[in-house]
Amino acid sequence: MEEEHSDTKGKKAVSWMKNIPWNKYLVAGLVMTGVAVLLGIVGFFWTPYSTTAMSASEKFNPPSLRHIFGTDNFGRDIFSRVMKGLGTTIGISSLVVLFSGCAGILLGAFTGYFGGIVDEIVMRITDAVNGFPSILLTLVIISLLGSGRQNVIISLGIVFVPSYVRIVRSEYLKLRDADYIRRARLLGVKDFRILFVHILPNIFSVFWVSVMIGFNNAILAESGMSYLGIGVQPPEASLGNMLSDAQGYLQAAPWYALCVGLSIVWVVLGFSLFGEGIRRGKISQ
Amino acid sequence: MIRIEDLSVAFGDTEVVKHVNLDLAEGEILGVVGESGSGKSVTALTLMGLSPDSARVTTGRILFDGVTLQEAGRPRDKALYRSYQGARMSMVFQEPQTSLNPTQRAGRQVEETLRLHTGMTAKERREKVLEAFRAVGLKEPEKVYRSYPHQLSGGMRQRVMIAMAVILQPELIVADEPTTALDVTIQNQIIELLRQINKTQKNAMLFITHDLNLARRLCHRIAVMKDGCVVEQGPAEEIFRAPKEEYTRKLIEAVPSRMKKRKKTEDVHAAPVLEVRDLSVYYQDGNVSFLSGGRKNREGEKLSLRERLSGTQKEWVVSGADFQIYPGESLGLVGESGCGKTSLSKAILGMNCHIRGEIRHHSIRPQMVFQDPYSSLNPAKTIGWLLQEPLRAAGALDGTKAMTKGDMEAAAYDMLRKVGLDESYFHRRPSQLSGGQRQRVSIGQALITGPGFLVADEPVSALDVTIQAQIMELLQSLQEELHLAYLFISHDINVVYQMCDRIMVMQEGRIIEIGETEEIFCHPKEAYTKLLLSNS
Repeated sequence: MEEEHSDTKGKKAVSWMKNIPWNKYLVAGLVMTGVAVLLGIVGFFWTPYSTTAMSASEKFNPPSLRHIFGTDNFGRDIFSRVMKGLGTTIGISSLVVLFSGCAGILLGAFTGYFGGIVDEIVMRITDAVNGFPSILLTLVIISLLGSGRQNVIISLGIVFVPSYVRIVRSEYLKLRDADYIRRARLLGVKDFRILFVHILPNIFSVFWVSVMIGFNNAILAESGMSYLGIGVQPPEASLGNMLSDAQGYLQAAPWYALCVGLSIVWVVLGFSLFGEGIRRGKISQ
Repeated sequence: MIRIEDLSVAFGDTEVVKHVNLDLAEGEILGVVGESGSGKSVTALTLMGLSPDSARVTTGRILFDGVTLQEAGRPRDKALYRSYQGARMSMVFQEPQTSLNPTQRAGRQVEETLRLHTGMTAKERREKVLEAFRAVGLKEPEKVYRSYPHQLSGGMRQRVMIAMAVILQPELIVADEPTTALDVTIQNQIIELLRQINKTQKNAMLFITHDLNLARRLCHRIAVMKDGCVVEQGPAEEIFRAPKEEYTRKLIEAVPSRMKKRKKTEDVHAAPVLEVRDLSVYYQDGNVSFLSGGRKNREGEKLSLRERLSGTQKEWVVSGADFQIYPGESLGLVGESGCGKTSLSKAILGMNCHIRGEIRHHSIRPQMVFQDPYSSLNPAKTIGWLLQEPLRAAGALDGTKAMTKGDMEAAAYDMLRKVGLDESYFHRRPSQLSGGQRQRVSIGQALITGPGFLVADEPVSALDVTIQAQIMELLQSLQEELHLAYLFISHDINVVYQMCDRIMVMQEGRIIEIGETEEIFCHPKEAYTKLLLSNS
């Protein structure tokens, strides 16, 4: 009996790997995001050089073997700061997506499945939030809460909720009348279980794509806010405030803006490809 | 006239049509019969030059009146095909809903063909379209001409499609399951229409179907296809009288017919599992304006103030249903689509709360087997999980019925065996199963909590004939083993005859006749019942 058990477990692991519909988008996206996330995590504990120590003699060194991204106006190693910045930016974006994604699933599931007056109210509120340009709305929230790391997360989180609510709601709306959900109801399965055990796994493929898109938007929004000076405050490194610094030295140190800008492009492209890979995998299934 | 020589078609590396030879003479109707996946549709689409770009002709060629339309190793000649499509060959599709453009009036769409292929003036075209509409039996051609597809019924849409296909008197008509989406009575009329067109216009017809009986009624010759090969070909009557191939014989046997006698399993003296008394089901219809005070509702009563205020009116879909079902018995429910069959079954299962009357259950939680095996199993779960879920749900509702994990697993394995699947299916997902296997799991899921009563809503109509026969057999053996009562809903009279002890006939929301199967079949009282019986 025990042998049989371990056997089926082994099979499960194999079939799990097999079930992933690999394609080149997925692989490229996975590699690119993987590198970025890894750099960010490593940067959290260790960087080749200190990210804050300044040195007048090392000012504006072009990329070399010692400083592969060169150094900035204070003589700090840009690569080290990009590592830190990646960590900050991806960390903030993850929390934003986590917050808005969870809120989106909860609100979308209940409104889509039950409908009625609550659905009507929630949808009108999301319409209202959607009606504002998102950067304007974050500005308002930031001006109320003040700048800083957690306030960036809160404000972006709130701004991104409606997009998830819409996607999750429309999927629930579609699936609540599916035959297998009807049957579950007929069996007497409780509503809560239908919502999160029966329906939720079926919307994941759609949901993951929107998470990837949301991740990108969060990265861009965080960079944008830091660039405008209302996000992460210096000397803390973030891709946005580095880019903002770099634009003052476009002629003296073009590599500064280029390296930071390309890092942002790298991360965003990685997540886009990742999302596209999931979408195509879903279609081929 | 049409000659398909040694034709093979492949998608990527998989050949779906293998070395097919078919000949079609002028004025002849050739039936191509096969189950889903047999390559019959791909053959037809390739002949019409409508196959998707990913399909390649790997061997053989297609000749039309001596002209090579397609040949292996040569890309499809689109210009050549354009001169043939519409004018000399045309096609009727299965789904009249999607093959007409919903944003254009029906008349315009038919006229389009004329505009492309003839030099007629607008007035002549209009006359010609109306004439074609009359020829295909559309009663108010002027009105149909002005209608949008959604304003027409399924049968009328299919007639419009046929008018479009025959208006230029093409030499070849390919009909791909033209009647599958239609009700039996309509089905019959369309078959009759096709036969008539064939007689008057003398065109060759390629009739593709999964239904052997239909092919027998319409076609001069029949070709049976299986796994991309033509296994047998010959005059229709001969194929039926003396099938040469084992597969053909199996197909013919699998077709439900009235020849098979059903054994009696009912026990009339037992207490019924379900009693329905004077049951009416309605929907709230939102099309009432406050000003329509003088109007009457469907039951002939004046609209009440409340109905006028809320803007809704009760739309009765089932009225005055009155019957019982006894343990071990199958009660058949037949009628055309839209007659209220599904509404009635939903009401019985408690899925519809807009009812008046009485439904009394004497069994625990009646379950249901759905029509479409592809949407009735949760694609995100494994078969084992699906089979255990009803037990978990029952345990959650009633603590005394809670089972241990091991017990549930054992019960699931046991049920898997009962529905004729082996243990390896336990860890699979629905997407890895065929339609018939899914329907087996579906039945298992409905039965695992041990209900005494099952509603089966067209459980076999989405399946191929051979699979259909197996599932019906499974339902019957399970009925005997577990002493189940079925409410068996179907539009297929022959299926119902084979499965059921008693039959209810429904028309426009009313049960017009109910009685023993034999009695209904031999001495139908109502005209409508007679019509239903004569059409199948």
